[in-house]
Amino acid sequence: MIETNLDSVAQQSTFRHINTGTKLILALGSLILCLLSPSPVVPLISGIILSFVLIIPGRTSPFLYGELLLGPAVFAIMSVIVLLFMLGGGEVIWRFNPMPWINLTITYGSLRESTLVLCRVFGCSISLFFIALTTPMTDLFNSMKRIGIPIELIDLMMIIYRYIFIVSAQAVEIWQAQVMRLGYGRPMEAIRSFSMLCGMLFISSWNAGEDLIHAMDCRCYNGIFPSLDIAEPVQMRSLIPVLLYLSGLTGVLLMMTTGG
Amino acid sequence: MNSKIILEARDVRYRYPGDQEAIKGISFHMRRGEKIALVGPNGAGKSTLLQMFNGMIRPTSGTILVNNDPILYDSTSLRQLRKRVGYVLQNPDRQIIAPTVYQDVAFGPANLGYDEQTIRSAVATSLRHVGLIGFERRPPHQLSGGEKKRVAIAGVLAMNPDVLVFDEPTSGLDPSGSEDLMELLDELNHEGKTIVISTHDVELAYPWADRAILLTDGQIIREDVPDVAFGNPRHVRMAHLSVPTLLELSVELGKRGFTIPARKPRSVLDMVHVIENHLHGTCVHPSPGTILVGNVDEADTGTLSAWAKARPGLVIGAMGTRAKQCAAQEQIALEFTYGVIDKCILRALRGQDSLILTTGSMVGRVTIRVEAYGRESGNAISVEILSSANQPPVSGQTDDEV
Repeated sequence: MIETNLDSVAQQSTFRHINTGTKLILALGSLILCLLSPSPVVPLISGIILSFVLIIPGRTSPFLYGELLLGPAVFAIMSVIVLLFMLGGGEVIWRFNPMPWINLTITYGSLRESTLVLCRVFGCSISLFFIALTTPMTDLFNSMKRIGIPIELIDLMMIIYRYIFIVSAQAVEIWQAQVMRLGYGRPMEAIRSFSMLCGMLFISSWNAGEDLIHAMDCRCYNGIFPSLDIAEPVQMRSLIPVLLYLSGLTGVLLMMTTGG
Repeated sequence: MNSKIILEARDVRYRYPGDQEAIKGISFHMRRGEKIALVGPNGAGKSTLLQMFNGMIRPTSGTILVNNDPILYDSTSLRQLRKRVGYVLQNPDRQIIAPTVYQDVAFGPANLGYDEQTIRSAVATSLRHVGLIGFERRPPHQLSGGEKKRVAIAGVLAMNPDVLVFDEPTSGLDPSGSEDLMELLDELNHEGKTIVISTHDVELAYPWADRAILLTDGQIIREDVPDVAFGNPRHVRMAHLSVPTLLELSVELGKRGFTIPARKPRSVLDMVHVIENHLHGTCVHPSPGTILVGNVDEADTGTLSAWAKARPGLVIGAMGTRAKQCAAQEQIALEFTYGVIDKCILRALRGQDSLILTTGSMVGRVTIRVEAYGRESGNAISVEILSSANQPPVSGQTDDEV
């Protein structure tokens, strides 16, 4: 069964056949610029442009995209709320003093810093989502090999990648079997069921590991894990817009920096 | 079929640690090019026995021989053994270990030390064999059950073993997938590979196998050609199996006065022959139909469609995964996709023509099968090999001449 997950979205992405290096330059370049920017403008612009690219030409489902953003958004908002009251500097905008010992204030300084953090999270998350939604892990493994990451580490990552889906499918099946028998109806039952699920998954994974060794031995494993050296060539029609975009973003960053 | 013994078990016994004996003194042999079905209920010891063939399990006592050499269990010998004896697990998810189809199929050749060009060639050949060309970059978790099974088979085929061992090959497959898989096994056997399968599906084993080995409780009850192995109800009961439907039908017809040949019917064609002979004295139309054979390997674009229109009312079947894919590409409706030759013979016996699309390696098989039927039954049916240049069909060519 083909699950709708990040990997399947990446496999079917319109940008799948663009050179992985080009996409990494775009995403990592945006990420670095977002982190370097002293102003929220650059991460905001970066996030909006990349989102537009993902949804319109990339044809990523807006609903799926929104669901994905929800995770970092929730964490970012919770963190920003704390930062608003913890950071200080400048004139007080709002004060909450219900008790003598409770003094919560929001200042212009904290508002500025919190906005910057929120926009950075927004921009950086979207940069990483761009890679996740356009580049399957299998393509990333090839790129890792090309840049010299130790082959043993890549082999391990490939095996783990393969088994993530097997184990997650088993987890879903066990969970569904438990739900069908009201295993999560009450809190204590839920805890018991969940612990059983974890135990079963552990045993299943252990057996899968044994089977993996057998499967590899059956095919004369001698320490070699072949790689799929099929890489899309670098194309100017995709590289040039990326470079122009990054140059523009850098220009905005410099303007924000020198402009104060 | 080469009569040389390729695999042999001599008084093999095995006991799982802390458990009762799973294999209790089994002895048998397999000849090169045979199709063997190991049939028995769950827990009979089929999988345990199969795993001994490629050294995954070492017998507690007794000997397993491959090409008359006892298996040695040092790592070098086991590598050599596993190159010659390929094992396909029941669950393909346990066998597919790589993140892409290409990498998984290339796994064996890469670890055998082949160079890059040889690996690519082996992978391409294997994927073409199982009908998965174009799947190289696909991750296994996005494949259907049947496709995963094919990837698992391709991964073993890429090592070019002499013997292929399948543990419950049709487990988890739908009827169409099972038919395709059994046809693939026939194709591989036709290319010279010895095939061993374990199954509890007697309806699958009976028509397919050259020999059936009935196994229960770690022991062989009966080992013989399928109509004899399954023909003894007592043995079948001991093995917790059922008598194949066709065999049971032929026994009942025999009791009602039908003349059943010494070699019991193993297919619908055989059974129709028995019934028609009893009822009419013959089973052939005064003007038997013709079986046309088209080699898809030699066909250009549009050739298959031209062949399909060669005669009015032509019914088309396809043998082999590649032939079915070629037919699908040209949107040719297939009437038969399994047991194609027998079905076309049945049509010919009714005076109707049919076309079999198949690959080059299987063209000769059609002629051989039809000629064999003709010799056994006395009913001659003509086979015409179609050529891609749309030249007039050449009648009765053998595979060598084609």
